[in-house]
Amino acid sequence: MKNRKHKLGLVPVVAALTWAFSTAAFGVDIDAAKALATQNNCFKCHSVTRELDGPAYKKVAEKYRGKANAETRLIEHITSGEKAKFADGHEEEHKIVKTSPPKDMEQIRNLVQWILAL
Amino acid sequence: MDIGTLTRPSARYSLIALIALGFVSGILFWGAFNTAMEATNRLEFCIGCHEMRDTVYQEYKESIHYSNRTGVRAICSDCHVPKDWTHKLLRKANASFEVWGKIIGSIDTKEKFEAKRMELATHEWQRMKARDSIECRNCHDFDAMSSELQKQTPYKKHMAAKAAGKSCIDCHKGIAHKLPKEYEEPEEQ
Repeated sequence: MKNRKHKLGLVPVVAALTWAFSTAAFGVDIDAAKALATQNNCFKCHSVTRELDGPAYKKVAEKYRGKANAETRLIEHITSGEKAKFADGHEEEHKIVKTSPPKDMEQIRNLVQWILAL
Repeated sequence: MDIGTLTRPSARYSLIALIALGFVSGILFWGAFNTAMEATNRLEFCIGCHEMRDTVYQEYKESIHYSNRTGVRAICSDCHVPKDWTHKLLRKANASFEVWGKIIGSIDTKEKFEAKRMELATHEWQRMKARDSIECRNCHDFDAMSSELQKQTPYKKHMAAKAAGKSCIDCHKGIAHKLPKEYEEPEEQ
């Protein structure tokens, strides 16, 4: 019993370590990622947790969890203007995320890593 | 010169000469005043100070209002100064506070500018909202948006905004400049 309590006490520690490993350890600048998303009006169509016109970012992270090409795939999605499929079935070009200075791939990568770490 | 000199009727000049003089002087004053006011609407004037040139101007140069497919450019005054004379004059009078800011150096470094960006942006958003985004609507019009040419999602949002009585600035903030770091999108979690 005592041993079980001891193990349960580790749960928040493990959770905290997992979160830290998924963001800070990979050097994700959360504020910069959210600022870039706001600047590009991403939150007009996406929410972190809710379905809007686009899928929730947590759902995106879930979809790509454990996939080796996740980062490359998402970068391609938000920088190429490829077609995005909407809930009603229609397709339209996804907005190309712009950075300042232009085409700063580190900022794009940081945004994608933030989404994937959610 | 005593006050009587100014108020006493002229015994030397005819009424016609005085009216003609007043008319010509009026034209000259009006022309000079308008020319000076229009000069302050030029982009070169706006970026004459490093406070604008090193910050918001650099951001604007990366925006679609500076460079785009069709070659139509909106300069500072197109978005920040009303076109009609009365409101333009009021805006210019209000801008005298900005001159005071320049004198006391309230945003004379990038750090000071960033510290005040939210306050400055909020003032401008409030001004635009109070004028129903008229400076945007000088070029953009809900009724001129084509459902064929505009993507379905923004078109749907635009028509919903029109029905709700919203104007451009309600949704489009920070389109030519960086958003303040304190700004949060309403939908953001």
